[in-house]
Amino acid sequence: MTELLVDPFRLPYMQRALLEVVLLGVLTGAVGVFVVLRRLAFVADALTHTVFPGVVIAFLLDRSILLGALAFGLLTALLLAGIGANRRVGDDAALAILLTSFFSLGVVLVSRTRTFASDLTAFLFGRVLTVDRADLVQTLVLAVLVLAVLAALRKELVLRAFDPAGAVALGYRTVVLDLVLNVLIALVVVAAVKAVGTVLVLALIVVPAAAARLLVDRVATMAALAGLLGAAGGWLGLAVSYEVSVGYGVRLASGATIVVVLVALFLVAASVAPLRRLAAGRQGPATLAARGQRERR
Amino acid sequence: MSWLAGTFSGGFVQRALLEAVMVGALCGVVGVHVLLRRLPFFAMALGHATFPGVVLAALAGVNLLLGAGLFGVLVVVLVAALGARERVDDTSAVGVVLAGAFALGVLLLSAQAGFAKDLAAYLVGSIVTVQPGDLAATAAVGFAVLAVLAALHKELVLGAFDRPGLAALGYPVLLLDVALLLLVEVTLVASIPAVGTILAVALLVAPAATARLWTDRLGATLTLSPLLGVASAVVGLAVSQHWRVAAGATIVLVAAAFFAVSLVVAPRHGLAGQLRARRRATAAARPA
Repeated sequence: MTELLVDPFRLPYMQRALLEVVLLGVLTGAVGVFVVLRRLAFVADALTHTVFPGVVIAFLLDRSILLGALAFGLLTALLLAGIGANRRVGDDAALAILLTSFFSLGVVLVSRTRTFASDLTAFLFGRVLTVDRADLVQTLVLAVLVLAVLAALRKELVLRAFDPAGAVALGYRTVVLDLVLNVLIALVVVAAVKAVGTVLVLALIVVPAAAARLLVDRVATMAALAGLLGAAGGWLGLAVSYEVSVGYGVRLASGATIVVVLVALFLVAASVAPLRRLAAGRQGPATLAARGQRERR
Repeated sequence: MSWLAGTFSGGFVQRALLEAVMVGALCGVVGVHVLLRRLPFFAMALGHATFPGVVLAALAGVNLLLGAGLFGVLVVVLVAALGARERVDDTSAVGVVLAGAFALGVLLLSAQAGFAKDLAAYLVGSIVTVQPGDLAATAAVGFAVLAVLAALHKELVLGAFDRPGLAALGYPVLLLDVALLLLVEVTLVASIPAVGTILAVALLVAPAATARLWTDRLGATLTLSPLLGVASAVVGLAVSQHWRVAAGATIVLVAAAFFAVSLVVAPRHGLAGQLRARRRATAAARPA
């Protein structure tokens, strides 16, 4: 087991990659719980695509990719609120149009360059093995920022997720809370996109949180478990892709391997969840309700 | 406009134009149903999730679109099964399936050489290289999809607006749902050679959403939406040929531009119309 899980990480670039995916796993786990609770998977998917033109423009102008992605992430969060407010259009149509048109803008810009195909692939799947020290520091700073905001607004965001009408009645501005959450998702996408690519970001946000939701009930535990699952999936995925690529000569893309491991963890969670419910359910709400029905009869 | 006509001479461009017109019209019609049923995210997921099917088909040496189509059916079933679980809502189920299936495709492909180029063509399309075979496939699929839509029109519309009513009238609701999802899937797969999977979603959603801003009547939406789809495809193709940029992406940008303009100027549902309505409402509320 140590051969698989420890040995590959003697190499410096594997250590940096591991540190990056573990950091991102913890970060996306915490944010992902809110994405899953609020059913914002499509918003997260849209944000992963709309930062693309920002990345391309920053690359063409030789500016910081982080800043370019950040600008387009914030622009998306604002436009989303604006277009979604038109009842005739609806949230999901607005999302689909924003996602595809921003992504197209990026494709049009990048299609002027020579290295079109490989640039597009790098954006979609990232190059986690080429993460350097500066990337790690950026991820760390963004992670601390996002987790601090989440911790500060934890109560409000949970209330907004479970009882929107109650949140409005208590005088919270739900529009502002929604915007804050969208901006947080955008920040996570920005933090991760250079290292792991857009498709992997979406998987890191949604899959561990959905798995954790199957296993535990409390929001704080859910966030912790999702972070743990994300980090574990990253570790295992990196190790497997290294082992297979080096040991067996079959090249496996590291980012995609991580996603497949995460989905496998989700499937395990989905298959043990009914067992857990059975064990815990003897005095659970479902049994109580059933007993109540029987007594009424 | 002379450069527009000049752009479309040459065999490969004429083929591309034909493909663009067919895909634009087909997506325009199907897109109206996608919006009525709130399926844009599902369409997006389907676009990504057919990917492993394409890779497997390429490895096995069978028709790529057939592989994508068959894998898409599997995904439809998976999303339905996962979403039926108590604690996994539909959106998260779609998210998990989308990410998982796409990663599986990448994994299969990364073991091959020449990985980046095939992938880019699949994702954003390559309309100028469509073959006569692709044209025939798109035409056949298009006629089949439109025929089924016309035959089931009444039932599908009733199902979109009043599901309990449809069930009460004794129609097989679940079967009709699956039929619509399969129509969306087939349309998406038929659009892959032209605009790729991600951008096909744009052609499904943007023209239909634009048409809905201009009219409240379903019949008018069903006419306007394919017209907008065709217009986006033709103008986009011309612009991309003129300035030598990616064709699929330019088509999408034109479709999005139509939408953005309509969002502002559309008479009733646009920004201007809504402001006017609000002003009128305040004026009426004020005591004389």
